[in-house]
Amino acid sequence: MKNRRSLFAIPYVIWLALLVVVPIVIMTVYSFTTADGVATLEHFVGMNAYAGVFLRSFQLALIATLISLLIGYPVSYLMAREGPGFQRVAMALIMLPMWMNFLLRTYSWMSILENNGLLNQLLAAVGVFDLINALTGSDIQYFQMIRTPGAVVLGMVYNYLPFMILPIYSVLVKLDNSLLEAAQDLGASTVDTFRRVILPLSLPGVLSGVTMVFVPSVSTFAISRLLGGGTQMMLGDLIENQFLGGAYNPHLGAAIAMVMMVIVVVCMAVMKHFGEGEEQAVML
Amino acid sequence: MSKELICLSNCVMSYGDDIVLDHINLYIKDKEFLTLLGPSGCGKTTTLRIIGGFLLPTSGDILFDGARINDVPPHKRMVNTVFQRYALFPHLNVFENVAFGLRMGQTQIQEVKGKQVRCKVKLPEEEIRSRVLDMLEIVNLKGFEKRSISALSGGQQQRVAIARALVNRPKVLLLDEPLGALDMRLRKDMQNELKRIQQEMGITFIYVTHDQEEALAMSDTVVVMDGGRIQQIGTPEDIYNEPKNAFVADFIGESNIIDGVMRADGEVEIFNRRFQCLDKGFAPNEPVDVVIRPEDVDIVAEEQGQLKGTVTSVTFKGVHYDTIVDFYGFKWLIQTTDFCPVDSRIGIKIDPDGIHVMKKSRYSGLFGDYSSYSEEYDEIGDADYDFEQDGSREGGDEE
Amino acid sequence: MRQRSRIGSRLIIGLVFLFLYLPIFLLIIFSFNRGDSSVVWRGFSFHWYAKLFQNRLIMESVYTTLLVSLLATAISTVVGTFASIGVYSLTRRWRDPILVVNDIPMMNADIVTGVSLCLFFVAFFQGWGSFAQWFNSVQGLVELPVRLTLGLGTLLLAHVAFNIPYVILNVAPKLRRMDKNLVDAAQDLGCTWMQAFYKVILPEIKPGIVSGALIAFTMSVDDFVISYFTAGSSTSTLAMAIYGMARRRITPEINAVSTLLFLAVLILLVVNNLREARLERLAQQQPIHQPRRPDIVERLAQGAATVRGRWLRRGVALAMACVFVVVVCLLSAATGAQPVVNVCSWGEYIAPELIEQFEQETGIRVNYQTTDSNETLYSLLKSGGADYDVVVPSDYMISQLIEENMLEELNYNNIPNFSLIDDRFKNLSYDPENKYTVPYTWGTVGLIYNTTMVKEEITSWSALYSDEYADNVLLINNSRDALGIALIYLGYSVNTTDEEEIREAYRLIADANRRGVFQARVMDEVFQYMEGGNAAIGTYYAGDYLTMLENNEDLAFVVPEEGSNWFVDAMCVLRDAPHKEEAEKWINFIASTEANLANMDEIWYASPNREALEQYPAYYEEKYEEPLDMEFYEIMAAPQEVLDRCEAYLVLPSEIRTLYNDLWIQLGA
Repeated sequence: MKNRRSLFAIPYVIWLALLVVVPIVIMTVYSFTTADGVATLEHFVGMNAYAGVFLRSFQLALIATLISLLIGYPVSYLMAREGPGFQRVAMALIMLPMWMNFLLRTYSWMSILENNGLLNQLLAAVGVFDLINALTGSDIQYFQMIRTPGAVVLGMVYNYLPFMILPIYSVLVKLDNSLLEAAQDLGASTVDTFRRVILPLSLPGVLSGVTMVFVPSVSTFAISRLLGGGTQMMLGDLIENQFLGGAYNPHLGAAIAMVMMVIVVVCMAVMKHFGEGEEQAVML
Repeated sequence: MSKELICLSNCVMSYGDDIVLDHINLYIKDKEFLTLLGPSGCGKTTTLRIIGGFLLPTSGDILFDGARINDVPPHKRMVNTVFQRYALFPHLNVFENVAFGLRMGQTQIQEVKGKQVRCKVKLPEEEIRSRVLDMLEIVNLKGFEKRSISALSGGQQQRVAIARALVNRPKVLLLDEPLGALDMRLRKDMQNELKRIQQEMGITFIYVTHDQEEALAMSDTVVVMDGGRIQQIGTPEDIYNEPKNAFVADFIGESNIIDGVMRADGEVEIFNRRFQCLDKGFAPNEPVDVVIRPEDVDIVAEEQGQLKGTVTSVTFKGVHYDTIVDFYGFKWLIQTTDFCPVDSRIGIKIDPDGIHVMKKSRYSGLFGDYSSYSEEYDEIGDADYDFEQDGSREGGDEE
Repeated sequence: MRQRSRIGSRLIIGLVFLFLYLPIFLLIIFSFNRGDSSVVWRGFSFHWYAKLFQNRLIMESVYTTLLVSLLATAISTVVGTFASIGVYSLTRRWRDPILVVNDIPMMNADIVTGVSLCLFFVAFFQGWGSFAQWFNSVQGLVELPVRLTLGLGTLLLAHVAFNIPYVILNVAPKLRRMDKNLVDAAQDLGCTWMQAFYKVILPEIKPGIVSGALIAFTMSVDDFVISYFTAGSSTSTLAMAIYGMARRRITPEINAVSTLLFLAVLILLVVNNLREARLERLAQQQPIHQPRRPDIVERLAQGAATVRGRWLRRGVALAMACVFVVVVCLLSAATGAQPVVNVCSWGEYIAPELIEQFEQETGIRVNYQTTDSNETLYSLLKSGGADYDVVVPSDYMISQLIEENMLEELNYNNIPNFSLIDDRFKNLSYDPENKYTVPYTWGTVGLIYNTTMVKEEITSWSALYSDEYADNVLLINNSRDALGIALIYLGYSVNTTDEEEIREAYRLIADANRRGVFQARVMDEVFQYMEGGNAAIGTYYAGDYLTMLENNEDLAFVVPEEGSNWFVDAMCVLRDAPHKEEAEKWINFIASTEANLANMDEIWYASPNREALEQYPAYYEEKYEEPLDMEFYEIMAAPQEVLDRCEAYLVLPSEIRTLYNDLWIQLGA
């Protein structure tokens, strides 16, 4: 009987091999060959030409992740403290935007951030520009918001914030209340309890939240294209460009994707280690 | 024993219409082992949580060393708790769990400009280390410092929880059903251990349990509670021998509780037969509840008995037989070393000191008949473990 | 005190929700706007909703999105559930590595998953192609299709692939927590294994399955990146449609479709929430201590309700399954039975009524797709993502495609209208013997500027690189045009193979870029920028300038004195195109004078059809009852003296193409 059940695993293992392992192997092979099928390292050797793109991508993604964490953690914390009815509605509201495609959400920001977009018009109507012009003698008609790195970060935070809130919230809401009571009982003030019990115990949620925000942020190309106006070239754009964009070179694209994947994996491993280190630091 | 350390006066706890504690008055002496005993939902845990500072009573005061501490948060009370499910920090190892409270700094009372001020003092690392190791030795966990909590057995976790609370040298240790999750043997061992620790440390233990045997074995004082009220406070002997009402009599040990009438001082009538007893001070012809413990009944030949009945069932219990005897339709439990076959007619004799007379109460008539007696029933009745708390266990049960 | 902190906490949560929802609400509000702006309110109207249902591109993409999401959810839920059961009955030694592999699609960046799947599919198609050829050659019974392309099938596979891990992630914990003896107990009580599965395992893990399915569906609907790389070009999800539109102009139909989607989801959530709340209230009302024994009537009612509920649920499931099957059948029947021609062209590059007219005349369905540059088209063709029949590349790209043997020779007997093409546009350098192409349009590249932002008249390309218009210049976002213009400005040939000249041109652009001259790099996005007055100067095609002029009268166009590029876009048929016959019919239809006139009128690109080019002023006058401004006409169909200043692109040797690409990426980096 036991064997019979494990038979179900076989098709899935084949599926995994075909649609997960083989594609990555093919990608790896691509990254180490030229168009003529000759083995080469040239794609990796030439990678430093794109150091700027790597740097910018990681920088923007890091900023977006940090902001998401700074917004997401308190919100998750506060939500976990609310009643069950409130929590259910709040969770539904957080999930709801995800049911609209994320490009729709990004698109809505385009019309807000345009130079003659809603936000600038609002500011103009309130008289902000008149005030600034009067004070400084400048002649500003609008703030440049779209097509700036800030807009790209905003797009990332806006789209991926739910991915930060969900895992942290689900860890916090499961946190055993008696642990908090125990901490208080042992003399920990509210701040101590948070720092020494709640925070370390919610670390797994924070880590998965950070991963879930950072990985799509660092590899996005739609957000940078729509909100960055193509001037903020990011890793995603670079890769996309090699496959379906102007510069057709899937071998280079595969190599860049590989490097990105490796860096992300290393980052995550380090962070996980650092997270454990943090836990140990609390111990010692 | 010495002065009162904690005093609950007129404490009421209610959630809307639901009254959980109904005007509790309780005095707890220093260095006392006091047990709050009662079935689940009786208010014992609520009382403990009020003392621990996790709940604010709806009305009434709680005094510690004479000072009102209603508004003092848990982390400023000189009280520590051993939680029902231990509430050990899963992210810390044994040593750090125990050291947790010490790292929070010790509250000390210092004289500043002639005024007594509580302030937190950070302990030096060596002191923390030595105190934790000493404490682990006391609870027999030497060498376990580096272990992770999840690698410990239930009994070991229990010891860590106790050590973690005691290492802070509280004036009072609160224990909320600490042995509830342990198996029988371990429970017995831990009972002895706890008693030993309490005597060694010389501090007050307030112990919550639903297990009357545990309560009798360990306590200096037992507080029997039911329905948010205290039913009786007394030494284990008092509680057992002189129960105040049918509830206490039934909850503590086995008892046959029979309706009776007090005919005169020292004379009570049961089943229209008069028995000598030691109780006095009732009104003449006052209806009362009479408690007769199963072991206080002697079986004699039918014709010599004060009462005559038929044996309906016999169960061998090792030391004695649990014999159920039908007297005029009312079934008694008698514990005897003599074997009487089922359906045999027997007589019984009861010494005056085997009879305890109680005033009628709202519990009269609810307990004390063994008509539906069975082993299983007894066990179900006992295992009134807090099911709500039990539900939270699921989450921690992952592989 | 507690009350106050609760208010504070709700305030913070509320602010975050405001942040999350404000853009969505704005989207919804402007879906009711009378005007087509997403900024200026011009009154309430439903007309974008009416337009939405006429917009084939959006409606088809919504349909594809829902179809793929639902199918992928259904498949991955079933497969994932069984897979979890299978994996969890394995020993740890086997289970753990499988679970690690299972996590890969969730942990990997979407783009890596998408790219690797795309490469995998293409590799598979190549292998399949050789196999099918061999197979067809050795037997004559079954004819296997030789050419497979990315499409609905691969899209579905990709979605299933990234959905299954989420299902397993949700089902696995329930399995882990399930009492291992339950199945044994059920079997002990006489169940067969399947019965035990239905009666014991399934109810036990049902919450996991439901939430797994829900998350799978959410991820499917939300996905863009993986779809983008695996759907190919003939299939497009809503996200891909938006992405395609965003290059040019997003019309408020998108607002309307967002609103409808939002409302649908909102209603679902509200209903679900109300139901849960009611269940909870019921549970609370029932006192826990003394469970009230339901009387017999109640129990009967409950029993009936559950039975009915079960049948109802089964009915719904059955109905949904039927709908699926019917839809899939219809879809395949529709695509299979009706002759189709897949056309790929540029955005807003055809008079839409021509498509309908052709479909009515011939009964051939036109699957009309667009891309935004020759290079992108080339990538699509190379990556196997496209199953086009007809493409409309520009001259230099045509020679490259011919060189790489990617085009099919045309049978000009089927294209009688080819004779109408002006001899000027026959036998051009890209197709010297004219075996592959029928010209579609021709025109010049020029400089477009906004006269309210640029005071003097521009005559030179130098305006593109000068600090005078810093942060107000748009750089054309393809290497050939951008570097070509720089070469012209520097006085070199656009077809130079001298690396130093190209590098000099690159330095000119890079230098300006560093100084912040360029506001953005655009292709079709140029419409938004120039029409909206967001940029002063841009480079684009003459025809498109005239389109922009319709929306912004302040724009001017010039072919600068240094010269420019003139181009021909021509229709060609791809090698092994599955619908060559239909493709030639289409080409013939488009080459007709009527079609060329309609196109000219719509897109303002000059026609290569001699008659059409001559007749257009008269056509215009008849249609609009006013004479055609000859200035416009000369911009559209540049007179010979302008063409003399211009140079056509020739195909570049591959090392120069690589240099172009490298330089272009460097500019972004």
